[in-house]
Amino acid sequence: MNNDKLLVLDNVTKVFTKGQGFVKSKIEAVSRVSFELELQPPEIFTLAGESGSGKSTVAKLILGFEAPTSGSIYYKGQPLEHLKGKREFIRDVQPIFQNPFETFNPLKKVQNYFHDTERSFGSPPRGQYPLTERSLELVGLTAAEIKDKYPSEMSGGQLQRASIARALITNPSLLIADEPVSMIDASLRMSVVNLFKRLKEEQGVSIIYITHDLATAYYISDRIAIMLRGQFVEIGSVKKVLDNPLHPYSQLLQSSVPAPDPRDRWTEDIALSDLEAREYTRQGCKFAGRCPRVMEICQRQEPEHYRVDDRLVKCHLYR
Amino acid sequence: MAILEVKNLKAYYITHKYGRSSTVRAVDGVSFEVNKNEIYGIAGESGCGKSTLLKAVSGLVKPPLQILDGEVSYNFSDESLNILSLNDDRQRRRLRGVRISLIPQGSMSVLNPVRRIRKSFEDVVYAHLDVSESEFEEMVRDHLQALGLDWTVMHTYPHQLSGGMRQRITIALSTILRPDIIFADEPTTALDVVVQRGVVQLIKKIKEEQQNTLILVTHDMSIHANLCDRLAVMYAGEIVEEGDVQTLFSNPKHPYTSMLLNSLPRVGDSSPRASAPGAPPSLVDPPPGCRFHPRCPFAMERCRKEAPLLRDVGNRHRVACFLQEGGQ
Repeated sequence: MNNDKLLVLDNVTKVFTKGQGFVKSKIEAVSRVSFELELQPPEIFTLAGESGSGKSTVAKLILGFEAPTSGSIYYKGQPLEHLKGKREFIRDVQPIFQNPFETFNPLKKVQNYFHDTERSFGSPPRGQYPLTERSLELVGLTAAEIKDKYPSEMSGGQLQRASIARALITNPSLLIADEPVSMIDASLRMSVVNLFKRLKEEQGVSIIYITHDLATAYYISDRIAIMLRGQFVEIGSVKKVLDNPLHPYSQLLQSSVPAPDPRDRWTEDIALSDLEAREYTRQGCKFAGRCPRVMEICQRQEPEHYRVDDRLVKCHLYR
Repeated sequence: MAILEVKNLKAYYITHKYGRSSTVRAVDGVSFEVNKNEIYGIAGESGCGKSTLLKAVSGLVKPPLQILDGEVSYNFSDESLNILSLNDDRQRRRLRGVRISLIPQGSMSVLNPVRRIRKSFEDVVYAHLDVSESEFEEMVRDHLQALGLDWTVMHTYPHQLSGGMRQRITIALSTILRPDIIFADEPTTALDVVVQRGVVQLIKKIKEEQQNTLILVTHDMSIHANLCDRLAVMYAGEIVEEGDVQTLFSNPKHPYTSMLLNSLPRVGDSSPRASAPGAPPSLVDPPPGCRFHPRCPFAMERCRKEAPLLRDVGNRHRVACFLQEGGQ
């Protein structure tokens, strides 16, 4: 089963326990999350949500850094916890982190990361690194540009592209990019975003793009999942979800993206959540406390995923 | 009458290490005026000197930062003064919070983690005003209420609050004494879109209620579009363009500004967008001539040798680019 799928998350839940003994408290960081990525065609899948919505935890679960409390993850048809050929998996699924200045050790030359990766996953001829050169070329850098450089000597955009190039050495089929452009300057941001788009189109790499920036998500992704307090509240094609969001939370999120246009300013006031913890432990719909269209049922019963207009929406309005 | 006038300000970081000295020319000859009651935005990428400019203008000059040249004068309703000529810390302290106030960058971590929020409010209020406890409480209660915050936050520690809440409290702290000028340094950075919108909403509200002047520094052009009346774009320590926010967004004259605006993606528009080639220069050794010329698609021979001056092209729109001079 699932042999034609690249990645399957089936009802995955991750519970973190805080404290011990009498003061133990539980937080469901990821709650019954399911989605699939096909082997072909490659796809950019966005996980969007506010901080504390559990999107980075999903990334950690897929990378195998954390084990799910319940539910299962299948990679190319194999369950992640009993994976034959862990090495193959590491080669195939590569992470890209948020802050390129923290990704690289400041005391280590950037090229060493490339050479180490290439040596441990291939057998390059002595003193030559063909894969390094190839992957640097893919991101628009040259070996001369990183030669003998320390991370502090490169710009954020360059370094993030280097970080992506390092991930490409192993020729992966899936990249997990956790907020890859949030630390990069506006004038350089699009160079990284465009690179993802090109990797998908030319190299056939699928990408899980984790972000809170809906504008870049709209720009590059095919499908999007909006997360709220560990749950997917709306999943569907990015054009549908962001052009015409159905879940009240997606609507709030979409209308809160500031437009770079002074003629298009916010005029309506919004209600703000005060306590995160309260939303996590809320019975019923997690958004009920802030929802402008809240009904009596939302307070006590958690909504299912309903299929509306080619997407899944977790809201009682669409029952 | 301009409430703040900055003339040819040069603020450099000068360090001496192992017998060698290095100079970072973070703010290099910046002049601008801010009118009373307006929201003036300063935009630019990281390392372009916008935070240093804010420090120099608000009188927070400590080594290695040094002011080499320039004037920063404030014209309040009842007094005028040059903040750079104040050399007594007591005089500056009298200004802070009451006359000028700063909403700092990284408000997530500016609150003292081992003191309740109330203590922080007490510190600010009692340092400037001689009030009784009941007057203090009334004052804070009114202020919090006006900002839509709950009195119960006074008894909490910062770690009990979410990032957005802490940010709102920091803003409340900076504005409780009704300052004439508020400086906000990246007040919405690192916040989620919804919380960010809440903070913008709050800043607008305070400005309307207290009728003060706001100087907003952020790299986020969308926030500028949403809040500002006038906007200055900085690049490598200099202002390259300044003007009314409507004009600047609809008709940018400097190649850097148009590049910055063109690279912004929008929801509902997935047409291809490119980012500017190259990277911002180092301020230790900025390129000669126009500092943008290595990245500029329109660079001419002249740009490599001479630095263009910020010139008025009509309607209080100022641009530092030879392309604009050529047309006249």
